[in-house]
Amino acid sequence: MFSKILIANRGEIAVRIIRACKEMGVATVAVYSEEDRNALHVALADQSYCIGGAEASGSYLNENQIISTAILAGAQAIHPGYGFLSENAHFARLCRKNGLVFIGPDPESMERLSDKAVLKELIRDTGLSVIPGTKAVTSVEEARKAAARIGYPVMLKACAGGGGRGIRLIHGADELEDAYLQATAEAVSAFGDGSVYLEKYIFPARHVELQILADEHGNAVCLGDRDCSLQRRNQKLLEETPSPAVSEEQRRKMIELAVDAVKKIGYVGAGTLEFLLDREGNFWFMEMNVRLQVEHCVTEMLTGIDLVKWQIRIAAGIPLNITQEDVRMTGSAVECRINAGSCGMLKMLHVPGGPSVRFDTCLIQGTVVSPYYDSLLGKLIVFAKTREETLRKMRAALCELVIDGIQTNIVEQLRIVEDERFISGNYDLSFMGNR
Amino acid sequence: MALLNFMKPMNELEEGGRTSAPVQRDAGEPEKKCPNCHKEIPLSRLWASDLVCTCGYHFRMKARQRIQMIADKDSFRELFSGMHSDNPLNFPGYREKIETVRAASGEKEAVVCGTAMIGKQRCCLFVMESYFMMGSMGSAVGEKITSLFEYAVQYRLPVVGFTVSGGARMQEGLLSLMQMAKTSAAVKQHSDAGLLYIAVLTDPTTGGVTASFAMEADIILAEPGATVGFAGARVIEQTTKKALPEGFQTAEFVLEHGFVDSIVPRSAQKKYLAEILQMHDGRAV
Repeated sequence: MFSKILIANRGEIAVRIIRACKEMGVATVAVYSEEDRNALHVALADQSYCIGGAEASGSYLNENQIISTAILAGAQAIHPGYGFLSENAHFARLCRKNGLVFIGPDPESMERLSDKAVLKELIRDTGLSVIPGTKAVTSVEEARKAAARIGYPVMLKACAGGGGRGIRLIHGADELEDAYLQATAEAVSAFGDGSVYLEKYIFPARHVELQILADEHGNAVCLGDRDCSLQRRNQKLLEETPSPAVSEEQRRKMIELAVDAVKKIGYVGAGTLEFLLDREGNFWFMEMNVRLQVEHCVTEMLTGIDLVKWQIRIAAGIPLNITQEDVRMTGSAVECRINAGSCGMLKMLHVPGGPSVRFDTCLIQGTVVSPYYDSLLGKLIVFAKTREETLRKMRAALCELVIDGIQTNIVEQLRIVEDERFISGNYDLSFMGNR
Repeated sequence: MALLNFMKPMNELEEGGRTSAPVQRDAGEPEKKCPNCHKEIPLSRLWASDLVCTCGYHFRMKARQRIQMIADKDSFRELFSGMHSDNPLNFPGYREKIETVRAASGEKEAVVCGTAMIGKQRCCLFVMESYFMMGSMGSAVGEKITSLFEYAVQYRLPVVGFTVSGGARMQEGLLSLMQMAKTSAAVKQHSDAGLLYIAVLTDPTTGGVTASFAMEADIILAEPGATVGFAGARVIEQTTKKALPEGFQTAEFVLEHGFVDSIVPRSAQKKYLAEILQMHDGRAV
C-alpha cells in the first residue's frame, strides 16, 4: 500500500479522499489554490502545498506543478477525485513517466474510453445496446445526412464531452446547422477538442447508471445501479439507488451484462456505465465515466462498500475480495446535492445526524464560497430499509440542515422529495422541466 | 444566541400501533358511571378528555373548567365578580341554601363573566355554573349578564355565552322573571350596535334562560345530547295529555326543528368559535 497520497482536488471530494486515507493509515498531501488557503482539505491533510492562483488553470489543472509537488512531498500516488484532471489521459501518462501511480484507469484505457464514438463500438460487441448514432462527424453536411438516416429528433454531442457541455438537441433539419456550429465551438472551448457525434434522442427517458469496480487480476463486480434522472440542464441534482424504475429481474440481467462488458474491455478501477432507460424498459448505453462519481455515496450507503478505499487498493494492485454474491443491495439510499446559490461567507453550519444520515461537505464556519469553482457545497445522503423510510429521513434531514450566510437549494430539494411524482418513483429526465 | 429556526418536515404520521397510552388504573381510583353507555370511567381519564365519555356523552362541566378549556391560556379577565344575590323577598331558607351552595361550588353566583381571547380573538365571555343551584337566574345573574352586554357595547366586543340553567330562580320570584326582559333588552342593544353574539347551549338549558338570552343569539350552538327546552317534558305531557316524540327537547331534536344552528362537540368548540369570531371580526353581519 502507498504510504503517502497526493489529492489533486479540492472541496468535499478532497475531504472525502483524505478521510479514506486516514482510515487506511495513508499519509496525505493536499494541494490548494491561494483562494483555498483556509479550506478544510488543507487543514485535514498531513501536508499542504499552495500550487497557484485562484483560477483552476493555474492550480488544480496545473499538471506540472502537481507532479512536482507530489515528488517533492514524497507521495507515491495521486488521487484526482472527480472533475479537474480525473479524466485527463495526458496527466495520467505524466504521472507514470514520473514514477507516480495515477489512481484511476491507465492512460491507454482512458483514451480509448473517453472517445465516446470509439467506446460505443467497443460496447456494441459486449451485448449491451447502444443508442443509434454516428462516429465523429466532420461537417454540417455529414451531420445532416447522418441525422436523416437516424431520424429526428437527434442529439449532437461532443466526443470529449461531460458535465452537460457541448450538447444540443435538434428537432429538425432546419436547426442542424446552428446547433452544429454552437456545439463544436463549445466543445473546443470546454475540452480543447471540437469533434462531435450524433445520436438518436430518446424521450421520455431516465438516466440510470451502473457502478463497477474492477481490479487488474480480472475480477469485476457491479455495485448496483443509480437513478440520476433528476437533473436541471444536464446537471444532476438528486440521485437514488436502487432505481425505482428497474425490476429485480432487469437489474440482475444488466449487472451480468455490465460486469461482462467491463471484463471484455479490460477496464481496471472504479467506473460507471451510463444508460438511458426508455419507457419500454430498454437500456441504451450512453457513456462510461472512468473515475469516481459525485454520487458514489449512495452506492456506498446501500452496499456498505467504500469506493474510495477500493480505488486506492486497486491502484496498489490489491485483488478485490468481494464477489458479486457478497454485494448487498437491500434498502434504499438517496443523495441530495446541496449547491450554493450565491457567494459569501458561511456564518453558521448545523449538520443533521442520526442513524444512516451522512453529509459529505467541505464547509466549516468561515468558509468563503468563491465564484472560481463549482457550486457544490455538500451532499446529504440517507439510507433506510425501504424507499419510503429513506424519503421520510431525507425530508427530516433537509429540514435540519442549516447553512447560514450562503444561499442554497435546500428548500428546492425539500420540494422535490415532497413531490408526489417523485414519491411515486414514476419520474424521468423531464421532471425538473423549467423549474 | 437565538434558537435555530428549523423547517418542519411534511412527513405523514406512520400507521399502526396504539394512538395513546392505555389507561393505567390505580387501584381505588374514583370512577364515574356514564349514564349513556353505563361504563365506569376513571375520573382521571374523564378529566383528560374534557369530561366527554368515549361513547360521546358530555358530562356537565364546571364554569371555571370550561373557561380554561375555551379561553386562550391566561387570557380570561373576570368582570363583576362582586355581584351576588341577597334575599329580597325573605324567602325561607334561601340565605342558608345560598351559603351552602357558595361553599360547595366556590362561586358567588351562577354565572361567571369576563373578557377573554378565544383562538386569539378578543371577546366577552359568560359561562353559567350548573353546580350553583343548576344555573338558575336570579337578579344577580341577570344583572351580571346585562352588565356584560353593556360592557361589550362600550368596548365593541362580541359576546360568547355558555348557558346552563334550570330557569328563573324561584326564591327571588318576580325579580327573577324580570331578568328575562332586562337581559333581552341588553342583548338587543348589543345587536343594534352591530355586534356578534354566539350562544352555546349546554345541558340543560331550560326555562327563563331559554326564553330570554339563550335563544336571542345571532348564532346558536349546542352541545351533543343537551336538553334544550322551556317547560319540562313531564309538565308538558301532563298538561297536554299527549305522548311526546322520542328525543324531545334534546339538542338534536331542536336542531332538526330549527331552533339551533349547529351541534358542536366539546373537542371542536374552541376552534369552531375562534373561526366564527375571526370570520365576523366582532360584527353580527
